[in-house]
Amino acid sequence: MITINHLSHEFVVGKKGKQTFIPILKDISFEVEKGEIVTIVGRSGSGKSTLLNLVSGFIRPKEGEIWINGEKVSQMNESKFADFRIKNLGFIFQSFQLIPSMTAFQNVELPLILKGISEAARKKQTEEMLAKVGLLDYQDHYPGELSGGQQQRVSIARALIVNPPIILADEPTGSLDSETEEDLLKFIKELNTDLGITFLIITHDEKVAAIGHRTIELKDGRIKEGVLI
Amino acid sequence: MKLKDQFRFVRQNMKKNRTRVYMTILATAMGCAFLIVLASVGFGLQKSVVKEITERRIMTQIDVYGQETSENGGYRQLDGKDVQIFEEMSDVKAVTRRIMLQQEGKYSIGDYHQSAQTVVANFPSEISAGFELSEGSLAKDKTEVVVGYNFPLNLAVQGEQTEEMFDDKGQLKEEFRYNGKLIGETIHLTVRKLEEGKQIEKVFEVKVAGISKKPTKEWAEDRSVYISEELLKDIEEFTGTPKGIVLDSAEQVKPADLEASKNTFDDVKIYAENMEAVQGIVDSLKEKDYATYSVVNELKEVNLMFAIAKAGLIFIGTIAILIASIGIYNTMTMAVTERAPDIGIMKAIGANPRIIKKIFLLESSYIGLIGALIGTIVSYGISYAVNIVIPLIIKQAFGEETPPELIFSDIPLSLPIICIVICYGVTILSGLRPAQRATKVDVLRAMRREV
Ligand SMILES: Nc1ncnc2c1ncn2[C@@H]1O[C@H](COP(=O)(O)OP(=O)(O)O)[C@@H](O)[C@H]1O
Ligand SMILES: [Mg+2]
Repeated sequence: MITINHLSHEFVVGKKGKQTFIPILKDISFEVEKGEIVTIVGRSGSGKSTLLNLVSGFIRPKEGEIWINGEKVSQMNESKFADFRIKNLGFIFQSFQLIPSMTAFQNVELPLILKGISEAARKKQTEEMLAKVGLLDYQDHYPGELSGGQQQRVSIARALIVNPPIILADEPTGSLDSETEEDLLKFIKELNTDLGITFLIITHDEKVAAIGHRTIELKDGRIKEGVLI
Repeated sequence: MKLKDQFRFVRQNMKKNRTRVYMTILATAMGCAFLIVLASVGFGLQKSVVKEITERRIMTQIDVYGQETSENGGYRQLDGKDVQIFEEMSDVKAVTRRIMLQQEGKYSIGDYHQSAQTVVANFPSEISAGFELSEGSLAKDKTEVVVGYNFPLNLAVQGEQTEEMFDDKGQLKEEFRYNGKLIGETIHLTVRKLEEGKQIEKVFEVKVAGISKKPTKEWAEDRSVYISEELLKDIEEFTGTPKGIVLDSAEQVKPADLEASKNTFDDVKIYAENMEAVQGIVDSLKEKDYATYSVVNELKEVNLMFAIAKAGLIFIGTIAILIASIGIYNTMTMAVTERAPDIGIMKAIGANPRIIKKIFLLESSYIGLIGALIGTIVSYGISYAVNIVIPLIIKQAFGEETPPELIFSDIPLSLPIICIVICYGVTILSGLRPAQRATKVDVLRAMRREV
């Protein structure tokens, strides 16, 4: 489902003329099979988010290739990647990334609007999805009027609404208390088993790492030998 | 993404900062209204001037003054051969040619007198051109004449003419006019000549056979007396000069010039079949070096002048819209900055940059079009007011009445269309950069709330 080949990345800092290159990822290669949950762990600053941002297409790699669902995304232009993303990828962010001026309903509906789905179909699907995450009664609430756990469920509903085969999550439980964290992990497992959704999850939390069929540890921008289980 | 949804997005976005959007629309509307009202003055005055010109002239009439000749670098008067050439041209309905008696004809009946222009006309062509009689018939022999419609209206008792004798239109009041019968009556025509400094007069007796019809144009007046060619011959015999011209012995007239004026016409007019044919006739006359005048010539010049004036006014008006467009640019830039976090999130979940750009362009053109629309409606109101108020102001300030048909401001349909097109173009241009900026919003920075 996801194939990473010899991926390297570095950040450029400083003004022109005085630029320094900071290598973050060095020659990363791994694969995520269809229906798999893979977790990536590592210390803060080890390059986990950078890796996920590369897979998400938010930044472009310096070297190497990324294949998702049979397509080579590492060379796609922005416009093409956008269309690819809405069809194939769902996102769960640590800080939810809901649009504050939109209600829960509107936030969940947004990907369907972007896909050009008709209004009637959108309403039905959105309501179903909100019911699935248990937030139908909260559909007219703005993100600011919801708890952290509820906001995360809205963001999951938004990720799921377009039926993506893959969900990418960067520290999905980072802003949640342990009880809501457990609920979320249960839900992820359900989605994986019931719908066969592939997950690539980044975390520094052992409990989260444990739901992965496999766990990859990053250290100093490289995959730590022997931890690839 | 459906267009309907894009519009909904735009409206939602605009609602988020109503005051700013309203102010921008206001500025655009003002710019548009300024452009339209400014240019409408050009259109209005042009309409008035053109109306004036076309009402004062017969549209199908072409005056031919003469033909340019290489000799003396001057003009040659027209004669029968020229008339024949004109008559053979296509789309020519009639060619009227008149010979004018080159002195004032003094006419009298009883105590009533009048000086009038004496004309030898070619009646068949005059009739084709629209000449009609209101009374009587055409002259049958050389002693008969036809008088113009206004001729009897101006026959007055000789003596001092005071102001009371005329009405407010400058017409002789009825009680001072000759009120008797004219058709069949004999009137006296007195012509004069100079012989060794002495004035000698001769009286010709003529009978009035007919009176021409009232000229259709209100301003026109026909006081002429139409005499026969034979009578002119008699007059010429008496004066010893062509067309009865009175020669002062002090004046040195070249015999050649006198000879040249023999058998020529003093007033040649071509009547075209219709208005559209006029230009073609004028063009082919020009090719043959004839000097002409027609309304078409005048209209062309007037229209060219106004076209330049209007272009200038629209240009000035466009500057107002350009200033308004700075407002649009500013509003859109602020909108993009404010919404950058949302744009980042939308991009993250898969919004195409093209769509984002389109939404912002849609928003700026929405502002521009609404502004242009409001500006157009307002400018119709202003234009209406201008046409009422300006004559009042002129009357107040200068004590002068403006002619009632004078239009100061006129908005033809093309003007709002021009304005809306200019406004839309300017709006798109000013919205382009902000929209481009929106597509460049960095997803990661937006999600970190760093934008
Ligand atoms: N845009 C950037 N420019 C420069 N350095 C960056 C940028 N983004 C991240 N980094 C650096 O890259 C390293 C890895 O960051 P990140 O991938 O966020 O680590 P993690 O998610 O594992 O904590 C850090 O040292 C961070 O400072
Ligand atoms: Mg991180």
